[in-house]
Amino acid sequence: MARYAMVMDTRRCIGCHSCTAACKVNNELPTDIIYNPVTTVGPTGVFPDLHMSNLPLICMHCENTPCVDACPTGASIRRDDGIVYVDDPKCVGCLSCVMACPYGARVKNHDTGAVQKCDFCKDRVAEGKLPHCVKTCHQKARVFGDLDDETSEVFKLVNSSNATRLLGELNTEPFVFYIFEKR
Amino acid sequence: MKTKHQGWGWMLAVDFFFAGMGGGMLVIAGIIELFIGGGNTSLLGNILGPLFMCVGCGFLVLELGRPLQAWRVFMNPKAILTIGAWIMSIAIVSGFIYASFGIASDAIFWKDWTFFRQFFALVNIVTGLVVATYPGVLLGRHKGRPFWVGPGIMALFLLSSMVTGAAAHLFSGFLVSAPVSQEVLNNLPGLVAAMLFLQVVLWCGYIWIKLTGTTEAEAASAKRWLNGDLADGFKFLFLLMGTVLPLVMVLIPTILTQGIGSLLVLLGGVSMRMLVVRSGEDRTWLPGEQKYRARLPLGCEDFMKKVWDNK
Amino acid sequence: MSKKVDLNQPGIEVKKSACYFCHQNCGVLAHVKDGKVLAIEGDPDFPTNQGGLCCRGNVALQHLDHPERVNYPLKRVGKRGAGEWQQIPWQQAIDEIAAKLSSIRSQYGAEAVATAGGTQRTDDWARRRFMNLFGSPNGFHNAHLCWIPTFMVETAIYGWCPFDLDLGSSRCIVLWGQNPGASGMPEAHHISELQEKGLKVIVIDPRFTETASKADLWLPLRPGSDLALALAWIHVIIYEGLFDQEFVAEYCEGFGELADHVAEFSPEWAAPLTWLTPDQIREGAMMYALNKPGNIQWGTSVDQIGRPAGATMHARAILRALTGNLDCPGADLLTGPSQDYLTDEEMEGNEFLPEAQRAKQIGSDKFKLVTWPGYSKISELTRKTWGKAPTAEWMCEAHPPSVFRAIASGDPYPVKALLMAATNPLASYGETDVVLEALRKVEFMVACDYWITPSAMFADYIMPIAGALERPIITNSYGCADFMLASQRAIQPMYERRNDFNFWRDLGVALGQEENWPWKTVEEAYYSAIAPIGYDVESFDEFVERYRFHFPEREYYKYKRQGFATPSGKIELYSTVLKDLGYPPLPEYVGPTENEVDHPELAEKFPLVLTTGGGFMPFHHSEHFQIKDLRFLRHAPYMDINPRTAAELSIKDGDWVWIETARGRMKQKANLTEGIHPKVIYTQRCWWYPEKDKRDIEFGGELGGALISNGNILTSTADKDCDPYSGAWANRGLLCRVYKVSEADQKEVK
Repeated sequence: MARYAMVMDTRRCIGCHSCTAACKVNNELPTDIIYNPVTTVGPTGVFPDLHMSNLPLICMHCENTPCVDACPTGASIRRDDGIVYVDDPKCVGCLSCVMACPYGARVKNHDTGAVQKCDFCKDRVAEGKLPHCVKTCHQKARVFGDLDDETSEVFKLVNSSNATRLLGELNTEPFVFYIFEKR
Repeated sequence: MKTKHQGWGWMLAVDFFFAGMGGGMLVIAGIIELFIGGGNTSLLGNILGPLFMCVGCGFLVLELGRPLQAWRVFMNPKAILTIGAWIMSIAIVSGFIYASFGIASDAIFWKDWTFFRQFFALVNIVTGLVVATYPGVLLGRHKGRPFWVGPGIMALFLLSSMVTGAAAHLFSGFLVSAPVSQEVLNNLPGLVAAMLFLQVVLWCGYIWIKLTGTTEAEAASAKRWLNGDLADGFKFLFLLMGTVLPLVMVLIPTILTQGIGSLLVLLGGVSMRMLVVRSGEDRTWLPGEQKYRARLPLGCEDFMKKVWDNK
Repeated sequence: MSKKVDLNQPGIEVKKSACYFCHQNCGVLAHVKDGKVLAIEGDPDFPTNQGGLCCRGNVALQHLDHPERVNYPLKRVGKRGAGEWQQIPWQQAIDEIAAKLSSIRSQYGAEAVATAGGTQRTDDWARRRFMNLFGSPNGFHNAHLCWIPTFMVETAIYGWCPFDLDLGSSRCIVLWGQNPGASGMPEAHHISELQEKGLKVIVIDPRFTETASKADLWLPLRPGSDLALALAWIHVIIYEGLFDQEFVAEYCEGFGELADHVAEFSPEWAAPLTWLTPDQIREGAMMYALNKPGNIQWGTSVDQIGRPAGATMHARAILRALTGNLDCPGADLLTGPSQDYLTDEEMEGNEFLPEAQRAKQIGSDKFKLVTWPGYSKISELTRKTWGKAPTAEWMCEAHPPSVFRAIASGDPYPVKALLMAATNPLASYGETDVVLEALRKVEFMVACDYWITPSAMFADYIMPIAGALERPIITNSYGCADFMLASQRAIQPMYERRNDFNFWRDLGVALGQEENWPWKTVEEAYYSAIAPIGYDVESFDEFVERYRFHFPEREYYKYKRQGFATPSGKIELYSTVLKDLGYPPLPEYVGPTENEVDHPELAEKFPLVLTTGGGFMPFHHSEHFQIKDLRFLRHAPYMDINPRTAAELSIKDGDWVWIETARGRMKQKANLTEGIHPKVIYTQRCWWYPEKDKRDIEFGGELGGALISNGNILTSTADKDCDPYSGAWANRGLLCRVYKVSEADQKEVK
């Protein structure tokens, strides 16, 4: 059984927002919905001694999903391979998952009344393709793969000393990892 | 930070208020029934308990993105909200059944079945307590909402449910007397005043601890209550009008002051929950996130609303 | 997720197309069935993007059939600028336009017809061919802002422009006013990859951009002061003995004169002019000179600084020669024009334009380098060595601001018609007031475009043009490089759209030029261009499907065999070509177009220094503001201002502020950032608001908001502010002031 994970190399991310656009357009999201914002941290410091980096955010497809635990209807599902998604017909739009997620990964669709979020492009993954955001990235800053496969790039990156998690202290156990610059 | 609102709104706050108050009313009526005896609370109060819970449920359903699918919230036993929904359903049924014992009509053929009355009183206490407490538990388990996270908010919600429940019973008693004796109801003002005093202490303590003894995100969220956008509501509506003023008024033994005082307690209860829900807008923001989201369109801009065509 | 397209269904053809939304032209695979494009994706086998696709490439399908696209020829029926149109058939439009142009020609001469282009990417060799056959010398682009002055100065110095960077074994790259991280993603990726292997990156930019944030050295110079920096680098490289002695001795002319000339231009001299410290200046020069081989990647910023531009390009070019970083592995290559396929110049038909008409090219009397005087001289030299000339549709153009002024005033002679293709001049040409006056006054105008832009609003005819996925593309730097990448169209143009090639051809045919237009389709024209290479293909599409790229064998050190295409056959640090054209043979120092040293009274009124023009995602120049998904990501314009300066002006983050120069003012929102010097202001370019009424002001419209946040309201095209060599006007290094927009003027730009 696979265990999917993604690694964001912020040393490479240049903040072009192509991943955000690719996800939006290819998933035909309503105009006001973004699954994967890329924030800019900085410039910090005082001119001209500055530092700036970019932080691509996304649903973390956690192991200890606060969102799935909070869902009263069972619409929120975490698969054995780690992909977390919303089964739309079961969603009543109570927004419990939206409130529960510390990463702000879930959004309410004001037209359908239900909640939606990144699902690692699971239909593409089933065909052996990469999620849109990964494929579109010119910088190759996003790496996606099966953590159970020891030959995979994600495995090597995650098990190197510099891959970390966001908000790790909250014990959500995200399966999206980040590599930050050494300063 | 002005961004498009994504999260719970005022309807959920109103649901929490009615449900909590209803739960408190059930607990109080149940305790009085079991430890003092039947007929010491007003029939109106006994009916309003479960009725308020229904009103709360109504708001909950309206808050949903898909209200017609509301029945689905009963389906996932692992979720606190589901457990709450089930327990609240039992509480409503049990509450109405208990209240029915007080209806002076021959159609109520069970009104002298004391054992069952006490049984339902017990069920009321247990389920009412859960309903009065679980919203606080629900909020307190939100790792990503700094103002809510932690065990403290559970106590604040339970206390508010109890004091609004007591005030509602008190007010009901002015409208419809308790069949057996008004004495218990007459002692409620003291209980209400004591709980209001506790409310002041606990809230000040909660905010102070959030502000000074926890994480940076929690301190930032607490600042909104002290001198941010929630400060006016907190200090004027909740503390002054909703807690301190009614504390004084219920201790003045006239029906007018105690009546108005009770209503002010309810004002305090609803305004508190509105403020709490609004403070849930604060999340464990990730680096750069607030600036990014603050610059996104709100949806009212011309280019968002325009129907594009090539005229 | 709704419409899921099954890409495995029968009947799907995969076309090897290109993105087309910027010059990088990344490879795109289009999945087509029954003449409809069902899906697109980045082409994983394309060498530059390897499957990647930026913001703009991803919206190809939304662009293709956007409800605002112009799909049929439109003829103006109301007053100019009132936005009343009648749809007419293509041939009728062509016939009417041809008749009008013919009548203008007989009354005023062919030179009374001008054509304007944009960033190109269109088949402008066809536009040039039409103009040459018609007899008019007055075609132009925004070329002056983009590479062309640099190209011609460098060609004057070393016989071609070394714009093809051989990065593979490079050890240092100087990004001189370039920000690939926000605009050229394949390049940004290439640089990132090499950085991981040790490439040193120097970024010269007033702003702490995406690219600057990843650099090894960031030089935040005063906008427009690049000349001082370049001269100081020359000084350091010479006087600290960092130049390649052998290379200079054997292949360069004028070293002695140069050394004397730069004796005073020390880092200490340059520091107060560039607002850098002498150490910073020295560090940059040494990093470039000592980490060899190295590259200087030109950015368009030096083309946009106005008066000092030509001298700056000369100084910058000298750096490569001094270090020997020319035409060797890892450095900047003098590929020369392709010897294998027909370059654009060979398709332009310049031989049809008589000498007498060439002499009438507007601006050629004032600015000689990128007009017929300079182009003739330089192409004569390149033909001797390379056998071919640079493309004229870039390197030999009328001076755009002078043409706009001629339209408005009749000086030097009346210009009665303007044919625009792929440009929105109100947004992208300098000094918007001048452009607006011309558009309002011109007697006859045709716009070839995808959209009814505010500029097109003034047209008599709007012709619908085929865009991304509807056109084949050759990427070969217009014949100025030796390699080529080819892409086919995914579908035939929709509705009544045609390729711009077909517009120029059809117009030419209607004016009697048929015998000189042997190709009927773009594919036929492209095929005739690539056929000489000798691949065994019968058509352009076959070439794309079977081969797609042509990378000839690299020959380094060509100069050892053939010398340099200059009069002396060597690199002319002391340039006789420039001297013959009447320009300084060595780069003379001149301050930024508007500066506090030379113009103190101006600086009193306008105490801050302005830079404009830097690109940003998800747009490209003035394109895509009407594509909702992209507009959502960046819906309002932001200018950069240092927080200390903002505090002095009581400006908070997000406030609307006026930015004003001696030309006028416009407003953008304030982005407080430490990433810019306290005395520097940056404004985003080309903002307009397609959701606003595009009609002219007198009809109650707002010109699509083209006058609200448009950086070109601030820029200057006055002759005195332009580069004397090329006429490139001043977008950067100007003086400005900033103040809050008051409640009263807060006409809410939502």
